[in-house]
Amino acid sequence: MEKALSVKGLRKSFGDRVVLNGVDFDVAAGEFVVLLGANGSGKSTALRCVVGLAEADAGEVAIAGDRAAMVFQQIHLVRRRSVIDNVCAGGLAGLPLSRSLSPVLFPKDLRAKAMACLDRVGLADRAKDRAGSLSGGQQQRVAVARALCQGAGVLLADEPVSALDPAAATQVMSLLAELAHRDGLAVAAVLHQPDLARRHADRVLGLLHGEIRLSTSASDLSDVDIEALYAPDRVFA
Amino acid sequence: MTARKYLTAAIVIVVLGGAHVFAWQTTEVSPGALVDGWRGMARFLAEALPPDLDWDTVVQPGLEACLTTLAIGLLGTTLSIPAALLFAVLGTRGRNRIVYQVSRSVMSFLRAVPDVVFALVFVTAVGLGPFAGVLALICHNVGVLGKLWSEAMDEVDPGPADALRVSGAGEAQVVANAVLPAVVPALVGLLLYRFDVNVRSSLVLGLVGAGGVGFLINQSIQLFQFDQMATYILMVLVLIVAVDLLSAAVRRRLG
Ligand SMILES: Nc1ncnc2c1ncn2[C@@H]1O[C@H](COP(=O)(O)OP(=O)(O)OP(=O)(O)O)[C@@H](O)[C@H]1O
Ligand SMILES: [Mg+2]
Repeated sequence: MEKALSVKGLRKSFGDRVVLNGVDFDVAAGEFVVLLGANGSGKSTALRCVVGLAEADAGEVAIAGDRAAMVFQQIHLVRRRSVIDNVCAGGLAGLPLSRSLSPVLFPKDLRAKAMACLDRVGLADRAKDRAGSLSGGQQQRVAVARALCQGAGVLLADEPVSALDPAAATQVMSLLAELAHRDGLAVAAVLHQPDLARRHADRVLGLLHGEIRLSTSASDLSDVDIEALYAPDRVFA
Repeated sequence: MTARKYLTAAIVIVVLGGAHVFAWQTTEVSPGALVDGWRGMARFLAEALPPDLDWDTVVQPGLEACLTTLAIGLLGTTLSIPAALLFAVLGTRGRNRIVYQVSRSVMSFLRAVPDVVFALVFVTAVGLGPFAGVLALICHNVGVLGKLWSEAMDEVDPGPADALRVSGAGEAQVVANAVLPAVVPALVGLLLYRFDVNVRSSLVLGLVGAGGVGFLINQSIQLFQFDQMATYILMVLVLIVAVDLLSAAVRRRLG
């Protein structure tokens, strides 16, 4: 399969604390990969290095189309703005300032594209509502729509369902899986729920001691694998 | 260890006590003078009541002066916005250290000099009148508003800005579409609060010759027309309560 995201030898330290000690993984187009790992194992740091929010000390990141899109656990919408304006904000790259300094200036085709993305996550009817007035699960889907509006082929998600109730979590996970399987995106999500990974993902990676120590198809993910990742006797890096 | 604690406590008590004795003497506190002055106060009150409500000589000039006071407060606030915004942005955390230190120091200086002192300076520069008051308010308010604003900017959640940065948006696009929408309501709230304070300050500025109703109060005291002064003070009361209610109402709607 075609690799849409390829990470090789990613290293990152904060002071003397080595967080990532040579992380390698790939995600193919049309594949949904889940990244598991204990608190503090460096999952967020790895994603932030991939999208450029943090600078890696060493390593190579190759992304088809150059830029990955990302959704966050804390959703990070502008709550006072309308849903559609938030989605439009994902597609601002490359627009001249004269068309992007305020939502009233956003071009028609950007609005049309944003509307299509919103429709893709099933919230077209809420376009005009204030983002802050939606439920947590709906807001997370708006955040996914904003990421889609960027038009990237790679979508990363850092604990996208940790703040959601089980029904909303399932809805967002199904959406991410569909985006991979039906729309052909390469999707990688950090999760803390192995069960959700088993149910929705294609492949599961496990981060431990700054390296990828587990890589298995989701259907083969065993309790022993999980135990090894979260075992209480693990040594902190 | 406990002996040392007692010693520290004793030293603190002695020093604080000494400071109060010294303060008592320097400020010439004298309860006796207050008691003796009781008659003077009573006479003063008797003269102030009832207030002089003559339309032509007192009420109309008073109302006009209130408008001037309001105008000084308004312009002093509005005209300080550009400089306050500049220093606030330059004084947010995460900036170049030198730029940050310089803008914080400028704001501290402007804040440390009371607006009355600025007013006295400007009265000698541009003469008695409301313009001196406007200039004084601008100078002091740039320092205060700039500091309040840069703190509000520091508190903004960086998440939405990060989300847009990931998508490849430029810094100006990030500011316009993530930072400003989050921060503008807070900035407007602080601006209204400063308007409120500045209207009150412009009264005091009037006392030192910078126009408005404060100037009339000063005049009536110097001419011993305490009944006129009482009218002006009532007007001030109404003015301040009105401005306070207005800005509180607007801020509530923003929040
Ligand atoms: N900006 C930073 N400065 C210093 N240390 C950091 C910084 N960001 C992360 N770390 C450290 O890096 C380590 C990994 O953090 P990271 O957030 O990547 O973990 P995580 O796997 O996402 O954990 P969680 O499951 O709790 O989200 C932690 O020990 C954390 O303290
Ligand atoms: Mg994390």
